Amino acid sequence: MTVTLSPDVIALLNDPTTTKVLATVDAAGVPHAVVKHSLHLGNDGNIHYLELIESSSTNRNLVRSLWFDGTVAISLVGRDGRTVQIKGRPVKIHVTGPLFLEHYRQLRASDENADLAGVWVIEPDSVIDQDLATRRSAEAARHPHFIHLDRLARRDAVI
Amino acid sequence: MPTALRQKFRDEASFEDVVAQHPEFPRLVALKIDVQRRGVHYSKRTLAAVDPAIHQIYTWEGINYPHSLLLRDGGTILVIPQPEERDPYVVDFIDGKFVLVDDGQIVEAVEIWPRPQYYDKKTSSGRLMRDIVSARPQRLDIFVTSFCHFFHVDDLGCKFCSLPYHHRQLRAENHLPTRLQATDVKECIVEALKEAGRFANIHITGGSVVKGEEVLDMEVDYYIALLQSIGEAFNAPRFPSQLLGTAFNERQLTRLREQTGVGSFTADIEVLNESLFNWICPGKAQWVGYQAWKDRLIRAVEIFGRGNVGTGIVGGVETASPHGFRTEYDALRSTLDEAEYLAQHGVTTVHTVWAPQKGSQFYHQKAPSLDYFIRLARGLQDLREKYGLSVDFDDFRRCGNHPDTDLARLQ
Repeated sequence: MTVTLSPDVIALLNDPTTTKVLATVDAAGVPHAVVKHSLHLGNDGNIHYLELIESSSTNRNLVRSLWFDGTVAISLVGRDGRTVQIKGRPVKIHVTGPLFLEHYRQLRASDENADLAGVWVIEPDSVIDQDLATRRSAEAARHPHFIHLDRLARRDAVI
Repeated sequence: MPTALRQKFRDEASFEDVVAQHPEFPRLVALKIDVQRRGVHYSKRTLAAVDPAIHQIYTWEGINYPHSLLLRDGGTILVIPQPEERDPYVVDFIDGKFVLVDDGQIVEAVEIWPRPQYYDKKTSSGRLMRDIVSARPQRLDIFVTSFCHFFHVDDLGCKFCSLPYHHRQLRAENHLPTRLQATDVKECIVEALKEAGRFANIHITGGSVVKGEEVLDMEVDYYIALLQSIGEAFNAPRFPSQLLGTAFNERQLTRLREQTGVGSFTADIEVLNESLFNWICPGKAQWVGYQAWKDRLIRAVEIFGRGNVGTGIVGGVETASPHGFRTEYDALRSTLDEAEYLAQHGVTTVHTVWAPQKGSQFYHQKAPSLDYFIRLARGLQDLREKYGLSVDFDDFRRCGNHPDTDLARLQ
């Protein structure tokens, strides 16, 4: 199910100082996770990713995901340590048309050696707040058995 | 159209039933095949929504038709309208989007090819550039001559081919010369290259010309002059391009490679069976011959390099009656066996989807099943993977008309 990204996640996604990792899988299920600074919010509310290398593993895996309804994961780590993971589905690639050409021109203006294979559109399915304190609270609430006993032990217990 | 009447033309398994039997075959590529196989009918809403300012169109009998369609995976569907009794998909315009409709159900969103900016410009000779060089989503198409010796002189044209029929009409309507002038073409290329990011390949083809000191020399001479002229637009000795010509001999191929910047060579054998080749392509059979055609392709690999030589077949035409294979099983097995021989020698085989066209001798025949085309596409791509052959010069982006090379995106 498609979700709408919250303003703070959008800010994290669009922040150029955020570390952005796109994880895909190949036909054998082997994961492939690579830093992709071009991940950003598109005007359609989806996540857009600029593929610069046509024969890359990421591109191939994205094609496979689009064809066979597979998913990808995007991890965002802000400069303040905030971490968010987004699960999504590649639903389209622009290989021509206004959006493609606009990115192509921008890319070429910033890097004369750059080329553009396509603009991927990734529809977000879910957003998971990976902040450690938030994850710990959720774990404690949902799985009270998942804790080592010493963490619950009384410090002043007398033998 | 009543279902009963449609089924009279096409009594076969449904799209869903067929794709369910091929879970590892991409549904979008299967859809592309089926749309090409059955053709399309553009609804009135679609034709009203087509905008000649932004969409690539062609005008036929006063109506603006979309040139072709684009899928969301970036794949292209090159397809032409078919009469309703042939059970085509409908391209409709619903809620502001173009969609493919089958049996009243929306099956997929599509886009219409975007129009290049150079289309409205004129060459120094006063010709509209769109009449000289046409465009696909990422490719420039140069159809250099509407003349084909096999068709026009010997009356031995390929039986599935409708190109001379259509090009004669188009050229007459647009007052175009039978053969394009190299200067016109170069001016179009120079203008098109100003559209940054718009094009990734140049495709050059035309009818066969057998004249010359040696057979086909005149065709080669013309291509060399044209390619040299195009080459002046580039700051590189070689540029991504595909020459689709007749099967030239070694001397002619060497000249093409050494005297031009062309990147790849293709000579379509059309059907991979000698007796069917002799029947379906009598001109090619008479002037070159089946075995010589294959030998010349293999020789071309030594000249152009592995991964730069291909041949095209009109997928499905091997089942044409009365001399074609009686069963799809036999047709597929024979075709893939011959394609494997070529692959072993570095020649990659690609297929188009045979959809009998008006103006061809086979117009009243029927294309094989979707299942057949899925197996053919898969089989040809499997051969490329088995023999480590790439098809970069003729893939989904640089051509878009071969379902089997769409599959190479995962190779």
